[in-house]
Amino acid sequence: MIIADRKPLEEILEMVHDCGSILLVGCKGCVTVCNVGGLKEVEILAATLRIARKKEGRPLEVAQRVLERQCDPEYLEPLRNDYDQFDAVVSMACGVGPQFLSEAYPSQRFYPAVNTRFMGGAVQHGVWEERCAGCGACKIHLFDGLCPIARCSKSLLHGPCGGSAGGKCEVSAEIECIWDKIVRKKMENGRLADLRVFRPAKDWRTSRDGGPRRSIREELVK
Amino acid sequence: MELRNRFDVGVFAILVELVPPKGVDISGMLRVAGRLADRVTAFVVPDMGAAVMRLSALGAAMLLQGRGLRTVMQVCCRDRNRLALQGDLLAAYAGGVTSLMVVAGEDLRFGDHHQAAAVNDLDLMELIEAVGVLAAGKDLSGAPLEGAPRFLCGTTVNVGLRDAALDAELDQMHCRAEAGAGFFVTTPVFDLESIGPFTARADIRRLNLVPTVMLLKSLGMARYIQRNMGHIHLPAALIERLQKAPDKTRESLRIARETITAIREAGFKGVLISPMGWEDHLPELFEHLE
Repeated sequence: MIIADRKPLEEILEMVHDCGSILLVGCKGCVTVCNVGGLKEVEILAATLRIARKKEGRPLEVAQRVLERQCDPEYLEPLRNDYDQFDAVVSMACGVGPQFLSEAYPSQRFYPAVNTRFMGGAVQHGVWEERCAGCGACKIHLFDGLCPIARCSKSLLHGPCGGSAGGKCEVSAEIECIWDKIVRKKMENGRLADLRVFRPAKDWRTSRDGGPRRSIREELVK
Repeated sequence: MELRNRFDVGVFAILVELVPPKGVDISGMLRVAGRLADRVTAFVVPDMGAAVMRLSALGAAMLLQGRGLRTVMQVCCRDRNRLALQGDLLAAYAGGVTSLMVVAGEDLRFGDHHQAAAVNDLDLMELIEAVGVLAAGKDLSGAPLEGAPRFLCGTTVNVGLRDAALDAELDQMHCRAEAGAGFFVTTPVFDLESIGPFTARADIRRLNLVPTVMLLKSLGMARYIQRNMGHIHLPAALIERLQKAPDKTRESLRIARETITAIREAGFKGVLISPMGWEDHLPELFEHLE
């Protein structure tokens, strides 16, 4: 799923500085699962904003809503009747949300309340880690299920660099060297020879370097 | 005379685009440059223009400078991050390059290495700012430099736009000038009248506007530009002239010469000639140029 972090309160307050009323919109998709933009977080942020602005002596009216998803136009419809009744709309979805909202309701101002971080999953309660860089040409099977594009600091595809030591990456002792893991796993499974294969330089066209990407499923297109 | 000084005193500058080789044989590049040196203020060295891999602009500029030939080194945002860009700018200045032309760089899909990853760490505006930061004796991390490069830094401007697109381009040009862009090379101009909407709203002398004159190598090329490049105006009369001319090469050079003369008479500070592979015809072009 998409992992996001909530923006610092000061930044959100600065965004809505000149607003007297806002609509705070959560999303029941990824940001609910990673506890950053679901119903609970919408309620907390709404209350926090009201208190902060009350302290400033400039009360802020905060209405709240949680949409099924913000990355699907049909689920944006519930806002149609009152999106323009507020000075601004603040989205707690990933970066897709405020953009889809802006496209659906061009006359309104939409602000992001979260920073979209990466595609990953929970490794323990409250901790999420990146697993996919969305390069558009998956090669995970070549590395025994461990993606060096997403998980190696240098996205190396032909083995570890000289900065790998004791299973850690030179960038930080907090970061595991994914190449250390790949090599160990290959050895354990008797597949080390896989890593002696030279692969031509990666084709990055399927990544962001081909411009904004699009996926078309012909059978679903009406 | 340095390009900067030419702009300051108003002596018409003649720039010629000189594309580095795709390979290590630099004899052709040096031969062309040597033949034209007397007539050219500086050679503009593209930085892998059209996203085609070639000998680098830095390398080519240093090779030319080392032989006493002045250059304007192009620097594009596409292929290097801010460390590499700054490092190359320092190297260029230390090697004698004093003029730059910063460009965004065409998308990789237009070139010959479609599978490459673009960098674009700095955008054009940020790169212009970076050149100014270096000139002030600091790098982008704020660390002091041992000797600061003080470049004349130009960039590009699209003069063929209309309406809202032209408004945006003019606005951007003025922002870039404020950020430190010292001259602006235009998109190819075949007809000064067609860029009237632009020149009416831009101080061509204060901004050091340098129109590009592209050599029309064939009738087919002229027709292609007319049909497919909406922002470049190529009058039907020019196509007709080429069509009727018994010697198309000579006619094309005559057209370029007339355009250069018109540009000079209109008060522009200089011109960039883009030979498009016709470097060997440039002596003939210059021979009859007043």
